[in-house]
Amino acid sequence: MSATWLPCGTYHESYAQDHAWWQTTFIKGKMILLFITVFIVIPAVADDYWLSVCNQIGYTILGALGVQLLIGYCGQITLGHAAFIAVGAYTSTLLILEFPWPQFMLNMGLAYPISILIAAVVAGIWSVLFGLPSAKVKGFYLILTTMAAQFITVDFILTQYVSQIGGRGQAFSLPPGTIKIGPWSIENDIQVYFMMLVLVVLCVAAMANLMRTRVGRAWVAIRDNDISAEVMGINVVLYKLLAFFVAGFIGGIAGAFWISNLAAISTEHFTWFLSLWLVGVILIGGVGSLHGAIFGSIFMVMVMEILQLAIMPLADTFPKLLMDFLFIKEAAFGLAICAFMIFEPNGLAYRWWQIKNYFNLWPFSY
Amino acid sequence: MELFWMTMTTGIMVGGIYALVALGWVLIYKCSGVLNLAMGEMTLIGAYVTLSFYSMGVPFLLALLFSLIIGFLLGILTERIFLDRLIGEPVLTVIMVTVGLSFFFKGCVELIWGTDTRVFDPPVFSIEPLHIGPLVIGKVYLWSFLAAIVLLVIFVAFFKYTRWGLAMQATADDEMAALSLGVSARFVYATAWAIAFMAAGVGGTLLGNINGLNISVSYLGLLVLPVVVLGGLNSVPGAIVGGIIIGLLQNFCGAYLDKYFPGGVKEIAPFAFMAVFLLFKPYGLWGWERIERV
Repeated sequence: MSATWLPCGTYHESYAQDHAWWQTTFIKGKMILLFITVFIVIPAVADDYWLSVCNQIGYTILGALGVQLLIGYCGQITLGHAAFIAVGAYTSTLLILEFPWPQFMLNMGLAYPISILIAAVVAGIWSVLFGLPSAKVKGFYLILTTMAAQFITVDFILTQYVSQIGGRGQAFSLPPGTIKIGPWSIENDIQVYFMMLVLVVLCVAAMANLMRTRVGRAWVAIRDNDISAEVMGINVVLYKLLAFFVAGFIGGIAGAFWISNLAAISTEHFTWFLSLWLVGVILIGGVGSLHGAIFGSIFMVMVMEILQLAIMPLADTFPKLLMDFLFIKEAAFGLAICAFMIFEPNGLAYRWWQIKNYFNLWPFSY
Repeated sequence: MELFWMTMTTGIMVGGIYALVALGWVLIYKCSGVLNLAMGEMTLIGAYVTLSFYSMGVPFLLALLFSLIIGFLLGILTERIFLDRLIGEPVLTVIMVTVGLSFFFKGCVELIWGTDTRVFDPPVFSIEPLHIGPLVIGKVYLWSFLAAIVLLVIFVAFFKYTRWGLAMQATADDEMAALSLGVSARFVYATAWAIAFMAAGVGGTLLGNINGLNISVSYLGLLVLPVVVLGGLNSVPGAIVGGIIIGLLQNFCGAYLDKYFPGGVKEIAPFAFMAVFLLFKPYGLWGWERIERV
């Protein structure tokens, strides 16, 4: 997918214009409208249910960004991303609960922001650890090592050992008031929503800019052909590990953010299903594009919610349906992936690109 | 010492089942190059079909036969509907289709048969253990092992001596040459999926006899991955040896390491082993090494 074509009559007179993110007035207007919508309109009109759906979407976007970086930009297929999200979530939780914070830091609400940063770094390092085999193997074999990361981290280390810290049993719960950023304590859906928005905007902007630097281009070169990339003087191992670090970093942020929404943190939230779900999201959205991660997240979460809304009224007549919804969801997810892979392998982002070009070039699309 | 021998026999016997399922996986990979992550759900379907027939009063062997037939049909259908369109697509696409299939199958199995553990009732094999010298072996294990070995021999013989099997071998060896000699590649792919479905079904049935049948039997499908990595992705003898080694490894870890690392060592050990093994010998014991050029 190359860049979008500009409409007829758009000329650039300086490099700054050529490099600008928003190149035409129309795009500027569109983006401002988008920001107004997500920052003002949605919080104003949405009720708690739809806000929680939005939070779900934001969490999926944050998780999918890391997967998109690894699979879509660096070509390192991972099926164990939930492990790094879990590491982020657990690090942040444990820091908040167990670390002896000085009172003034608690008063200033610094504990949670600092724990997010540390969680991101820890998750990044953990991800590099399991990215090490990528120096030697690739393709299917790398998939297997990332799967091993998932089982070793979540099903073994976190479930058997980390969950025992502090003697709380299986799940950690955060007492209200502990999750606090500065003067604001994050308690209800709308506060989580704003925090999610800030994090998503920051992470997407960071990723988009990263892709325009030497690092991002090196990743793309490795994805397209790693031997050629090496010949051109790119340190393949270093950049692959860097990709794992950044992906783990964003995963850690996602995990640390999500604890603000979870009542109790347990390993059930970070199963292998989540890893596969995130890969499915970027495949449906479109591999190798940030739009893809966002569209995929919105599409998948919305489809599941709509499925639920459609099934709920039927539940009165067929009470069994309510119980079976989880299974229907699973089967629908599986079918959706198969259908997209077979009929729409370029994903939703490709369609979006086509539509944009159609209108930009209209009426003479040749 | 008794524990050692007990663990050893159990490991080998369970390993036989792993070998059978791994054989199905290797056949698919060898013939069509599809890396299949839906193996576990295929074992589930086969096992539940057998169970349904068995609880309707059909004798066990006949139930198994029906399940084989249904597995054969489902395998061909799956290949025709989903995998046939993906020939020549990138690895990730094909793998994710099999992941999608695994979710679809799993959802269907849960919808149809529920999530409760079900057992073969009345038990197919008597609980009375068998005494061979100092060894005590559960009859279930012994029969499962024997059944797995018999089926392995049948499948390998089919692969080696029949016309269809030879066509499959030719396609696996050099697809272009096989096509020009009049072998139908699509037929071969369908057969490979059918055989894999059948092998998985029998493996699932046997495992369901040992521990009772629920969704967690599909863990077998993940366990197949360490097995094939150990043996080499496209090696039939590798799958058999790898299956038995992983069975042994799993049971020994369960018996001896559980004291030091309480919890699921038994479930994790094959994967940890696989991750380390990949670092040193990524093409397995007998797999073909891929030489890559720009």
